[in-house]
Amino acid sequence: MSFLPPFIHHRPLQLEEALDLVSVDDVPYSGGTELLLAMKTGLLRPDSLVDLKRISDLSEIAVDDGDLIIGGSATHHSVASSRIVADTVPVLAEVASQVGNPRVRSVGTIGGNLCFAEPRSDIATLLMGLSGRVRLRSSRAERDVAVADFVVGPYTTVREEDEILTQVRIPIVPGQVAVYEQFKFQERPTVGVAAIRLEDGLVRVVVGAVGGVAEQFEGRLADLDPTEISRSVDVIADIGGPERYKRHLTEVLIRRAMERIGADS
Amino acid sequence: MSTTSVSAVVNGSRLSRAIATRSTLAEFLRTELGLTGTKLSCELQVCGVCTVLVDGLPVSSCTYLAVDIDGREVLTIEGMADGESLHVIQQAFIDHFAMQCGFCTPGFVMMAKALLDQTPTPSRDDVEHFLEGNICRCTGYAPIVDAVVEAGRRIRGGTAP
Repeated sequence: MSFLPPFIHHRPLQLEEALDLVSVDDVPYSGGTELLLAMKTGLLRPDSLVDLKRISDLSEIAVDDGDLIIGGSATHHSVASSRIVADTVPVLAEVASQVGNPRVRSVGTIGGNLCFAEPRSDIATLLMGLSGRVRLRSSRAERDVAVADFVVGPYTTVREEDEILTQVRIPIVPGQVAVYEQFKFQERPTVGVAAIRLEDGLVRVVVGAVGGVAEQFEGRLADLDPTEISRSVDVIADIGGPERYKRHLTEVLIRRAMERIGADS
Repeated sequence: MSTTSVSAVVNGSRLSRAIATRSTLAEFLRTELGLTGTKLSCELQVCGVCTVLVDGLPVSSCTYLAVDIDGREVLTIEGMADGESLHVIQQAFIDHFAMQCGFCTPGFVMMAKALLDQTPTPSRDDVEHFLEGNICRCTGYAPIVDAVVEAGRRIRGGTAP
């Protein structure tokens, strides 16, 4: 049996209280699906965990000012089963229902997923495609950052150590055509591809999981070449397969995603 | 050692006590409560043998803080049978010979309970999707899926307690 190192567990009821606590050694904690594993293996050893689960506003799902708003501690399960998400950004509910396994979805949160910045996050890849933003609060200030600018590398984001990801905000585009294709054997995908139709006949394709960070491509449907994209993306060969195999899978998934959004035109 | 006071319901019994803050739920159930039906294997949330339900949702107790059960209800494999009568899911597992060594079985049974509570009429695909994060190294997946589908049928048909 593996053990966790000792730590203090804070259970604030108000966001302000949590914001006063978080620091480099006092880390936000919710589902723990990533954090507790990192602690068990000794990769992280915080002095305290600032539990966000009792701050009820942080798990709310709502619509505000044309955006779908998902609280940072909303679980994948609650996103996947939310009527509001299904009605406004259905592709997100679909992808949330595929994250990890049901036990990870019961406790793992959208905010934790983004902040941990695991390179194979389907959620991050999709949210980049959907022009999603994150809202970061500290006791000093509040700022919104596009998900595309938030994740800067494997396990690396622009979140400051005293900031908490309070919301994910996704523009609601009625009738939006957006699809997600993934290939996975285990809990995490080998490749994930989001394809979204934008205005003026443009299409955005985001390729995730194969490299260190998801990459975006935009153009007219006819001008985006799956072969070319799959050759240009950064690919990391690992236990999921060698580079050639991953490029092949990438091309196939881009083609499938583009066919799906093209068929609706 | 840092402790946290916790009140929770485990298998229908209320408990209030100070729990070691760093204890995982699996550790607490097995060593403090003696509920060793919950097993540990990968300890990475990928194998499913440590599955228990917290407020009806399945969690990997190997990577879940015991103090997080505060104010919640926990159900483990020990809470499934009613005295000498097995739960319908357990009976279906026996009837379909859905186990060989049995080590993964508590996890599969708890996952099946979580699935059937939220989806009383699962298709075979639903069952496979829901159980894909549980590993049986004796490779008896087909009878396990059969057992879960059958358990759902028995629950719907009212032939089960």
